[in-house]
Amino acid sequence: MSSAAAKPNPSTLLPLELIDKCIGSRIHAILRTNKEVVGTLLGFDDYVNMVLEDVKEYETTSEGRRVTKLERILLNGSNIVMLVPGGEGPEGTVAATS
Amino acid sequence: MAAPARTNPSDFLKELSGRPVVVKLNSGVDYRGLLSCLDGYMNIALEQTEEYVNGQLKKKYGDAFIRGNNVLYISGSKTKK
Amino acid sequence: MAATAALEAAGDHQLAEITVEEPLDLVRLCIDEKIYVKMRNDRELTGVLYAYDQHLNMILGGVVEVITVTEIDPETYEEIYKETKREIPMLFVRGDGVILISPPTRGS
Repeated sequence: MSSAAAKPNPSTLLPLELIDKCIGSRIHAILRTNKEVVGTLLGFDDYVNMVLEDVKEYETTSEGRRVTKLERILLNGSNIVMLVPGGEGPEGTVAATS
Repeated sequence: MAAPARTNPSDFLKELSGRPVVVKLNSGVDYRGLLSCLDGYMNIALEQTEEYVNGQLKKKYGDAFIRGNNVLYISGSKTKK
Repeated sequence: MAATAALEAAGDHQLAEITVEEPLDLVRLCIDEKIYVKMRNDRELTGVLYAYDQHLNMILGGVVEVITVTEIDPETYEEIYKETKREIPMLFVRGDGVILISPPTRGS
């Protein structure tokens, strides 16, 4: 009984602590309105507004996918749906499943 | 292992203040101009603002206030005015 | 947070001039001026700004509202823009529909 209490529950890692561990590495953000952004995470705040570097922005429309490259951005956290640590974006995802 | 250098949103915004920026809205419209200031809601004041729709210059404004809820991202712009 | 910072700054330095410390100051400078407002749903307004609050709810007077509707020609698939204009003497605008506010270009 006492040994169970000594082991820390792995789920005590808070979601934002996981994102904190991603600082300095690539991250893939899936946004509302068919947009995805991939970049190196430089920092973030309590709203998960994120500063990203060497960014690729993917816009998926009925006509296909448009990619925009950007140096450094502040991404508004209110549009983020999911974050994939280490993700290389829609291109990487397709490669992994095929 | 040393922790990587952090640039949090507030640090980034200090760097951008007074400089040319691109503000992209959720609608896909881009605004290019000089960043005058910005608040906690991401409301933005721009000077010498240009509005681009589908990459085409549509309109110019002297000053412009952009309501923060429409903002997708703010990016530093390399093209000096 | 930004507002309190601006207030502190004003207290410390005794700002002599009206300056743009935060974005809403730009709107404050437009009181009793004719402004342009870009709204969601392809609506544009021009009118005199009488009042506003922190949500960007606004009272505008002598308003001209322009609504742009895009239709696609069923034969040529070309986009056709149709503008509808109307005049409203006094108008309350709810802030959540606002995208952009621009003051009149000074000196013109």
